[in-house]
Amino acid sequence: MLEIKPILSALWRNKIAALLIALQLALTLAIVSNASVIISDRKEKTARPTGIAVEDIITVNFQPVSQNYDMQTAVAADLDLIRPIPGVVEATHSNHFPLSGSGSASAYYNQPSQETGGEVANYYQVGAEFIQAMGMKLIAGRNFDPSDIQVADLTENRESSVVIVTKQFAEKLFPEGDALGKYIYGDRSSHPIEIIGIVERNLGGWVNWSKAGNAVFFPEMLIAEGNLFMRYLVRTEPGQRDSVFNQLEEKLSQRDPHRVIEMDTIENFLHKSYSRDNTMIKVLSVVIGLLTFIIALGIVGLTTFWINQRRKQIGVRRALGATRAAIGRYFLLENGMIASAGIALGMAAAQIANRMMVESYGQPQLPLPTMLSCALILLIVSLTAALVPALRAANISPATATRNV
Amino acid sequence: MFGYYVSLALRSLRGTPVLSALMVAAIAVGVGASMTTLTLNYMMSQNALQHKDDRLYAVQLDSWAPEKAYQNDTQMPWELTYRDAQALLRSDIPSRQVAMHRWGATVSQENSELRPFTAQIRVTTRDFFALFDIPFIYGNTWHKSSDQNPTREVVLSKKTNEKLFNGENSVGRSINLNGEPFTVVGVIEHWNPTPKVYDLNNGAFKNSEEIYMPFGLHRQLQIYSWGNLNGWKSEDISNYEDLLNSHYVWVQYWVELDNEKKKHDYENFLAAYIETQKTKGYFPRPLKFGLTRPSEWLVVNEVLSDDNRILGWLSLAFLLVCVVNAVALLLAKFLRKAPEAGVRRALGASRKAIFSQHLIESGCIGLIGGVMGILLTLLGLSLIRTLQMGRLDQIASMDWVMMLAAIGLAILASLLAGIYPAWRISNTNPSVYLKTQ
Amino acid sequence: MLKMHNIRKSFRTDTIETHALRDFNLEVSEGEFVSVTGPSGSGKTTFLNIAGLLETPTGGQYLLDGQDVSGLNDRERSRLRNEKIGFIFQGFNLIPDLNLFDNIDVPLRYRGFNAKERKKRIEKSLEQVGLAARAKHLPAQLSGGQQQRVAIARALAGEPRFLLADEPTGNLDSLMARQVMELLEFINEWGTTIVMVTHDPDLARRAHRNIQIVDGQVSDLHQNALGNEAATA
Ligand SMILES: Nc1ncnc2c1ncn2[C@@H]1O[C@H](COP(=O)(O)OP(=O)(O)OP(=O)(O)O)[C@@H](O)[C@H]1O
Ligand SMILES: [Mg+2]
Repeated sequence: MLEIKPILSALWRNKIAALLIALQLALTLAIVSNASVIISDRKEKTARPTGIAVEDIITVNFQPVSQNYDMQTAVAADLDLIRPIPGVVEATHSNHFPLSGSGSASAYYNQPSQETGGEVANYYQVGAEFIQAMGMKLIAGRNFDPSDIQVADLTENRESSVVIVTKQFAEKLFPEGDALGKYIYGDRSSHPIEIIGIVERNLGGWVNWSKAGNAVFFPEMLIAEGNLFMRYLVRTEPGQRDSVFNQLEEKLSQRDPHRVIEMDTIENFLHKSYSRDNTMIKVLSVVIGLLTFIIALGIVGLTTFWINQRRKQIGVRRALGATRAAIGRYFLLENGMIASAGIALGMAAAQIANRMMVESYGQPQLPLPTMLSCALILLIVSLTAALVPALRAANISPATATRNV
Repeated sequence: MFGYYVSLALRSLRGTPVLSALMVAAIAVGVGASMTTLTLNYMMSQNALQHKDDRLYAVQLDSWAPEKAYQNDTQMPWELTYRDAQALLRSDIPSRQVAMHRWGATVSQENSELRPFTAQIRVTTRDFFALFDIPFIYGNTWHKSSDQNPTREVVLSKKTNEKLFNGENSVGRSINLNGEPFTVVGVIEHWNPTPKVYDLNNGAFKNSEEIYMPFGLHRQLQIYSWGNLNGWKSEDISNYEDLLNSHYVWVQYWVELDNEKKKHDYENFLAAYIETQKTKGYFPRPLKFGLTRPSEWLVVNEVLSDDNRILGWLSLAFLLVCVVNAVALLLAKFLRKAPEAGVRRALGASRKAIFSQHLIESGCIGLIGGVMGILLTLLGLSLIRTLQMGRLDQIASMDWVMMLAAIGLAILASLLAGIYPAWRISNTNPSVYLKTQ
Repeated sequence: MLKMHNIRKSFRTDTIETHALRDFNLEVSEGEFVSVTGPSGSGKTTFLNIAGLLETPTGGQYLLDGQDVSGLNDRERSRLRNEKIGFIFQGFNLIPDLNLFDNIDVPLRYRGFNAKERKKRIEKSLEQVGLAARAKHLPAQLSGGQQQRVAIARALAGEPRFLLADEPTGNLDSLMARQVMELLEFINEWGTTIVMVTHDPDLARRAHRNIQIVDGQVSDLHQNALGNEAATA
């Protein structure tokens, strides 16, 4: 390219302006590439399979108005009332709702001595139909049997002797993959609990927990005296959730009006649990879009200005025999050189910014391909933005040279 | 002269409408984006107890396990055991002190149409209202003895009183909690600090409670905290009394210490308490306690999350890009008008006059950009409200401090953007531009 | 009025140093009409720029109205320029965005006159150059000669005692050039000191005195010759 030298010397004379464009591109690349890595990280996180039929589950939480209440009988009556409702697949009781942001956790060990082989898990005290009611997939072993159910108190140590665990937790405690039929032990307890079944997955109560997916399910009914409440999970046929939802509260309070009933959906819980991540995704996407737009407008504006300033010069060049293509190419090349410099600078800035993000805010590392694709996109945006004024420059008539401005 | 510069600036802006619009847009978008996130961060960092920041302290005692800290190697538990809370309550060094936790119960009324509902309740000692400076509309807090003896009394929030008693003076009237009768002794004014500085580990942006009840009722009602209940040791807990005497932490504790001397005394008291407890086998970790002011409490509880901080930095970087963008455009524009500046110089304008003229032009851009930036901020905040993030809805609004900050930021940004181009043009040698080309 | 003693001016670029003026000595008295001639690149414009306080000399002494201007700061220099000096350029240098009225308004604004005074002066000076009817026109709507007359009106509006003209007729045809020259002579008769750079020997001869600049210096030979001529006339 013969033109590189004159372009360079022209740029040198306008070095501040060129530097400003390069600086904008550099900052933009640093922001955009770091924002994209956060976006893809959050997208990955929110797209994790939950292991349950998120869209079809209704949650019911009730508290009897008075504490003098026969909870066990009420639960049986309620579930008998709910199950025959058309559209209901299964209903069960549970001490917590998965994905709701609340729950309980405790450590479990693969041997009673408890020096090693421990792992924390989200634990649930659930009804025998829990797996069907959540739409979870049992991949090994057997499901609960109604006879497994024990009644537990808040202060009572769980004495259940069987448990169903998630595959993730099973593999943590028994890396050999032979968890089924093995025993686990509660924290500082020597009571053996047999793993009778393994489910494919369940994300548990806290989506932001580093150990999300470690979950164990005990066949128990928790009745907390002095703090009486009960929770049901009701799974419906796909698409039937909302119509079942509308009947449910009425039927339940009709059966027994002396209680406060609160209903929600697992889908709503999931939405709330991920609201922070979804906000990040949305805000960062808007930032990327706006920045790209602003920078493109800035380049259009600035290139147009430069070209206007050099109208006469361009006319003279044309009069001296430069072709349209040569003029257009000149400005594109000029922009390309500035953009490349800016982007090179931006890659360094992106890495520095990413290092700070990783160290101070625990964000993911910026992979090279992400950065390079951001750089490429930015280069294309910059060239496209320069194309409009460059084409206009190419159309400047040679007669401009002789005209007085 | 100022008026003259302004009229020149406006004329110049009108002369290049597209370019001016670009610069205004850049500033507006930059200010809008950064003010939206900064407003959120600012509102999230509000300290409702600022006026008592020099006397209130959140109390922490390190009663955790011998082998490892509660969190992150150094963090003490956020809450106390019931045992420790009861022991601290016996000190008379603090002028006021509060032991409390979150709870909930069903609320119903005899002979009433009202549908029973579950109310958020704060179980607390009587100083809560005085310590946090909450005025009463009717009545007052319960008597001292209620914090030791099971007296069934409650204080209602203004909203709850409106719901239950149409806002009338309800002192002396009765409501049922979990089916048991309680007497209303007071109604407080509306009080809903955001973030909820007095209770940050149950969600910093939750609403304050609807009902307040004495701390003396635990045994009688078998109250289990609706907040966090954390333990580290396997104990044989077979009844409620065992729980109260256990190592589980679940009681939040605040004190009001009038002066440095009191604070010093209280520190000695806490150290002595831990020492005596150590001899009885409690507090296996090295002696450690914490007295934290509300402003620091907000920080150590990380009310402003890393995500918020990232967005804060990001929006400032965004604004920087917008400023650089505006600098480039202004520079282009001013340099194009350099011959005019040369003529003005020849006709007697000093460098300062040229500088001021151009700086005012960029200031005008900043002002217009700032006003539009504020509109964009309002738009951005209302967008955030539509994202529905619970309590954030309520804080996604601008107060006048933020309004002024937005205008200031816009003008600062555009002056920053304008200073270099204006300096550049006022410093070029006029004779260069006076030559015929 | 103007006294230059051993003025030097050199321009430094990366590679070479150009001495535009060296040991430049000149005196112009009150009320004189001096024409300046000389080959291209000899330093005429540089001399005018220094005389008009647009540039500072590298060395030497410059007295304007008996005042040494070398120690003055930008503000004081600008004030002097505004009050005492009027400029006329070959390229007219009207501000294209401003109409004639506003163009003439520029120096008066920097002078700090009130609106009434400014209006009076603008109208008067437009009248002097015969363009009173065109006050609201933009420069582009005038012919070259008219534009130069506006430039003169602008230079005169502040009633400077000293008018500096750099090839004021360079872009004009001979008829227009003569009109402009007549205007300048008229102004000079009313007491304004004028220094005019020109390439036109006929116009140069119409001045009271002609000095020639060669290679950044006043050419003695020529000055003497002309001076003798004036003496014999
Ligand atoms: N800004 C500058 N930088 C470098 N050199 C300069 C500059 N201005 C003038 N010169 C040099 O100073 C010398 C005198 O220039 P000047 O413009 O005074 O000539 P002039 O007599 O007015 O010529 P002309 O009749 O062609 O207008 C020239 O050699 C020119 O190249
Ligand atoms: Mg010249």
